[in-house]
Amino acid sequence: MEITIHFYSYFKDLTGCEQTIMTLPPGGTISDLLHQMIRRFPELGPMQNSTLTAVGVEYQGRGYVLQEGDEVSLFPPVQGG
Amino acid sequence: MKRQLIITSERIDEPALLLKRRMSDGMGAVVCFLGVVRGTEEDRTISALEYEAFLRMAEHQFNLLFDEMEKRWPIESVRLVHRIGTVQVNEPSLWVEVIAPHRGEAFAASQWLIDEMKRVVPIWKKPRL
Repeated sequence: MEITIHFYSYFKDLTGCEQTIMTLPPGGTISDLLHQMIRRFPELGPMQNSTLTAVGVEYQGRGYVLQEGDEVSLFPPVQGG
Repeated sequence: MKRQLIITSERIDEPALLLKRRMSDGMGAVVCFLGVVRGTEEDRTISALEYEAFLRMAEHQFNLLFDEMEKRWPIESVRLVHRIGTVQVNEPSLWVEVIAPHRGEAFAASQWLIDEMKRVVPIWKKPRL
């Protein structure tokens, strides 16, 4: 299944892109996606524990099972205000 | 609870916001908070901060916070303005107004809202030297 990933803040600088598409087997989780992502963008590796993940506009944890067409956002801790 | 959320690249116009304040006779407390860009960031002098938001999610997360505020405190009105884009040193990046019957709940709700915003609302800042 194809998953669209959006990057925010300095994750865009680290990956050199605002979004990408990755393919996961059915039943793949956010954790699976992150492992695949770090193989492709090793620069994200040191931030993996603090990386926040959202599907659509909701935060989701590492065990969340992704569905075809999900839009996943990856970003560092937020800093509003 | 009345709510107004504005995420904007325009300057925060405090006088205009104050003119639009509406409160009923039962309200006895207005807490207004202004977050202002400091001239230093991690001991470095900066000229501005560049704010970026994941806008759709930021709006959603702010609304979840407003929902929770409404459950916790008897707030009549919350208005929040957050800047995105370039905000110069000494300019406000955040304006929050909470109106409640008493000061205790108005202070508590506004403090909670700002703390939670800094934890969950997807907005980031990058210093400009």
